[in-house]
Amino acid sequence: MAIYEFPWNPFDPGDPGPCIKFSVARYADDIEYGKSIGLEYLEPPIPTALIDTGSPFTIISKVLAKNCHLFLTNPRFPIRTLNGDCETEEYCGSISFPGSGLPRIPAVQILARDFYKEASYSCIIGRNILKRWDVRFDGQGRTVTIKV
Amino acid sequence: MIRRGVGMAVASPLEIELKIFEDHRREWAQSHLGKFVVIREDTVAKGFFDEYEDAFRAGIQQFGVEQNFLIKQIWKTEPVYFVA
Repeated sequence: MAIYEFPWNPFDPGDPGPCIKFSVARYADDIEYGKSIGLEYLEPPIPTALIDTGSPFTIISKVLAKNCHLFLTNPRFPIRTLNGDCETEEYCGSISFPGSGLPRIPAVQILARDFYKEASYSCIIGRNILKRWDVRFDGQGRTVTIKV
Repeated sequence: MIRRGVGMAVASPLEIELKIFEDHRREWAQSHLGKFVVIREDTVAKGFFDEYEDAFRAGIQQFGVEQNFLIKQIWKTEPVYFVA
């Protein structure tokens, strides 16, 4: 079992929420095949993701989705936002969590959206990933623990 | 049968696949409600899948990684999920 514990203070008004470092890449087996035939891949960036139990899906910035060459599986995925209904792109990608010890997820559904420039994260970890984890928040200790 | 070919405009990626899905939605919803289906061009992958990830792996096995394919969950009407 992998356990990752990190601090989070929800009472700090400047705190964006419980965040974790992540890395997103094209389907993992695809990359491993490419490496086996001599292709070279740049190391993916390691930005920050917000853990959000309110989001049904994992969402990354459109810029990141394009730069990481994720596998498009639906160009017109319908969503509802505070601004109304619209469509967005759905990709399949591999997500890992460097430095956490949490296991990589080799293939997962990912939506792509525009993020505010000032956002301190470029990914929202939604319930399609959280359903694989046991996530607990200790309010007194102000820590989040993820068990897989 | 719909095929990509010379003289046929392709507006955006996976448009043909989306049309095929809509053409079959009602039929599939009767027997495979809530399952995922995989379509590339005019070919529907063998099988219907409980999970998106299983559908993706089946698509990779049947179609390879050279070209994108559509993955759609089958509902009678298109659900709209709230995303902040």
